[in-house]
Amino acid sequence: MKKIILASALLGVLAFGGDQFAMSDADRAMYEEMLEHNPADMDIAWGGELFEANIGSEEALAKFLGVKAEELAVYLSGFPRYIEKLGMVASQEQVLQGAMAEAGKKPLALKSKEMAAMGAYVKSLSNGLPVSIDINANEHMKKAYALGDVVFNQQRGGRGLSCMSCHAPAVIGSILRTQPLPDLGSEANKAAATWPAYRMTKSNLTTLQKRFQGCMENALLAVIPMGSPEMNALEVYVTHVAKGKEIAIPGLKR
Amino acid sequence: MQRRSFLKGIMMTGAAAAVVSPSLAFSAEAPKGPNAMDLDTAIKAITGGKSVSASDKVQLKAPEIAENGAVVPVSVTVDSPMSAEDHVKAIHIFATKNSNVRCADVMLTPANGTASFSTRVKLGSSQDVMALVVTSKGEFLSAAQNVKVTIGGCG
Amino acid sequence: MATKSLVKIKPKTYKVGDVVEVSLMVMHPMETGLRKDKESGKLIPAHYINDVKFSFNGTPFTTIKSWESLSTNPVYTISYKVSEAGEIKVAFTDTKGEANENGTKITPKA
Ligand code: HEC
Repeated sequence: MKKIILASALLGVLAFGGDQFAMSDADRAMYEEMLEHNPADMDIAWGGELFEANIGSEEALAKFLGVKAEELAVYLSGFPRYIEKLGMVASQEQVLQGAMAEAGKKPLALKSKEMAAMGAYVKSLSNGLPVSIDINANEHMKKAYALGDVVFNQQRGGRGLSCMSCHAPAVIGSILRTQPLPDLGSEANKAAATWPAYRMTKSNLTTLQKRFQGCMENALLAVIPMGSPEMNALEVYVTHVAKGKEIAIPGLKR
Repeated sequence: MQRRSFLKGIMMTGAAAAVVSPSLAFSAEAPKGPNAMDLDTAIKAITGGKSVSASDKVQLKAPEIAENGAVVPVSVTVDSPMSAEDHVKAIHIFATKNSNVRCADVMLTPANGTASFSTRVKLGSSQDVMALVVTSKGEFLSAAQNVKVTIGGCG
Repeated sequence: MATKSLVKIKPKTYKVGDVVEVSLMVMHPMETGLRKDKESGKLIPAHYINDVKFSFNGTPFTTIKSWESLSTNPVYTISYKVSEAGEIKVAFTDTKGEANENGTKITPKA
């Protein structure tokens, strides 16, 4: 009972259609133009330096992953993947941690600025390619997707919300405090294909998992740690929604 | 148990925050910073009191509604031959209600080829963004656009 | 470490006589002096880029005085009419006196 009341409290702050705050197409075009001068380009350049210092080269990364150097970009476009060496469905950042550890270096923390920049650089190697995640590649991926589905749909926290409460086809496009609720799979959003992204409200480069955490904090869902099986599963789930969309890193978001 | 009540505590503040109107996020009276300067003073410092005329030679582009007051794209283009005899000498950008209205003073030369400048500004509240242009002929031209600043959305 | 920055020319290919866009992006907090530190509650002192100078082969052609109202990680975009091959240099200084320089080559297509 309580849950229902709380969920309708959310509906109270949603405004449907023709909202007075909706931006005009001209406004949107201006924001899109900003992509040309995305401050996160500086992070990507820095990430490239960090990559060289910590991993060495694309060849070294390809070797760690057991793929040919010329296949690296395509391979990377299929993350998260089950990585035998790590014994888990891993994000690219975790692969970078693994590669650093193998080289006898102390891995960068997942939530560090350095890792965000280096991870974004590595993701940008797949720019222009479609998101090619395969959730049926093996049992591990199937399980991760199923877990992601659960996490995405599970009502949690004080207001009994799930990710689905806000990112479901039924409410997508409606407005929450002036922000349209994004359809995580739409052409306009290409969500998983455009993160890491520069967040204008935070003035920094933000990873997809960090973005999830932002939604969790705001919707009062207990925050799931980065790199945990649940978080990776959520990344698998959201990435699958954007399958086939062109990778364009770094994105630029509100 | 401990954890539950902790979450509940967040819920209360969070839910309250969710319903406060956006305007409360910015105090009505902007606090004064070290460079505080109002629009009249800033304009006078440039024109020396000469008159400024609004001109459609000056095109100022800014969103009517800003997704986020911290990053508002502004671009100014002035219709000018940019020749030695006839060019734009300066483009000044003002956020007319910020505590220091000055955003950028851009000094141009004929080598620019086109008189243009674009950047991103912080706006503390809904307000006009204004461009004041100084030409080599000693004219002062201006253009302005109102920008509504909203906040909202999710994290 | 030097302040991170990026200088870009748009479009990528151009000829002598074309007007191109030159942009400078800088990683800089652009502190207004009005913001409080979340932990200490103290005002964070103003700290922003206040001076930018674009020059071509050593000759300045655009100077910008900027203020705390520019966004964090600011972008400055101006026009430049390509006259010959050479180098654009952009020097910028902040209110703490930290001076940096970045640049890019101008290579017009015949
Ligand atoms: C209370 C409503 C709400 C809930 C619950 C919610 N979100 Fe969001 N989410 C939003 C809004 C609104 C935005 C975009 C607006 C903005 O940028 O502030 C957003 C943006 C996102 C984005 C970025 C999309 C893009 O533009 O690329 C992702 C990814 C995302 N959410 C994932 C999640 C996940 C995963 C969960 C569950 C853990 C979740 N959200 C729960 C409201 C919600």
